Amino acid sequence: MFKKFNDKENISGTTQVKSSVIRSIREKLLDTYPDIKDYLDQILPKKEPIKLIKCHDHIEILALGGEPVFFKQRDFFMPTLKLLHKYPFLLPHQQVDQGAIQFVLSGANIMCPGLTSPGAHLVQADKETVVAVMAEGKQHALAIGVMKMSTEAIKSVNKGIGIENVHYLSDGLWHMKALKK
Amino acid sequence: MAEADVTDPVDLNEDSQKTKPKKSSKKKDVSYPLKVVYCGVCSMPVEYCEFNPAYKDCKKWLAENCPDLFERLTIEEEADAGDGKKKKQKRGGRGVMKVKKKAEPQTVTISRIQRQKKKYVTVVRGIGSHDIDLKDAAKAFASRFSCGASVSGDDEIVIQGDVTDDLLDYLSEKFNIDEDNIEDLGDVKK
Repeated sequence: MFKKFNDKENISGTTQVKSSVIRSIREKLLDTYPDIKDYLDQILPKKEPIKLIKCHDHIEILALGGEPVFFKQRDFFMPTLKLLHKYPFLLPHQQVDQGAIQFVLSGANIMCPGLTSPGAHLVQADKETVVAVMAEGKQHALAIGVMKMSTEAIKSVNKGIGIENVHYLSDGLWHMKALKK
Repeated sequence: MAEADVTDPVDLNEDSQKTKPKKSSKKKDVSYPLKVVYCGVCSMPVEYCEFNPAYKDCKKWLAENCPDLFERLTIEEEADAGDGKKKKQKRGGRGVMKVKKKAEPQTVTISRIQRQKKKYVTVVRGIGSHDIDLKDAAKAFASRFSCGASVSGDDEIVIQGDVTDDLLDYLSEKFNIDEDNIEDLGDVKK
């Protein structure tokens, strides 16, 4: 999604989010990520102004003090990798083996064999859930993806795309420069 | 983008070790947010530096900025080499990351354009490659010289009035641009 993203070209406008809108966003976030509960006030403080950055291709990014924290394409918000590194418990962790890392880092989708091999580790998750892609022997997430098959399907079919790569280290969103206030 | 605190790498190591078990459940003895050290060269967490084609530069940066982590990394690497390559899975195909080349700082050029008989505008080009935000710079010029200044194109700022002489000093003072790096083109036709 952010492979060719460029903060100069792809942003169409930024607006400050109304507090009433923020309230509904907070509720939605609580709904989708129940683990966030204790930390939501840290991540999205009530007092500070939050900006919504609208980009091309229906992408919207929530930024707090210039730093992107959540992004969404059309329907639901997902945390950015910077945020996920700070609060790793937000998403279920799927682990890929070492051989897959370099491909994921250049934006490839995660194929099933990379999730079922000995170095990998699969957590129960349904289709279309947002997951953090971890790597064998590494502590931090390297990508955020959406499950394209359920865990069972990945194990039984073991072919094709298992997790769609949405946001990875050193993609356009990662390199996005902090906005000025 | 190394805004992560690098002042206290030891503390961070403890943090990250506690979180090593890869489960999405919360650990109670860790305080969030975690601090992550990002490489100053490739901007990724330090452990992913090895996948950067310019790994050498990353190593240099790490050795300079957090020697603790650097030592640990080299020890781990040596251990890996001892184990042999059996452990690592490899795949064919192209999966090499591309490096984005940073634009080399160009020389900043200052020129003067005549508007009317006695009126001039000053044009500054090449500031953007020095990692300076053009809009900010234009604003700073406007307030410093109390005149109009605007971003007029890709890497070009137009300042109303003839401010060439003051601008030379101001550029080196405010934006730390080396004076040898500034070129005065003098009068230029429109």
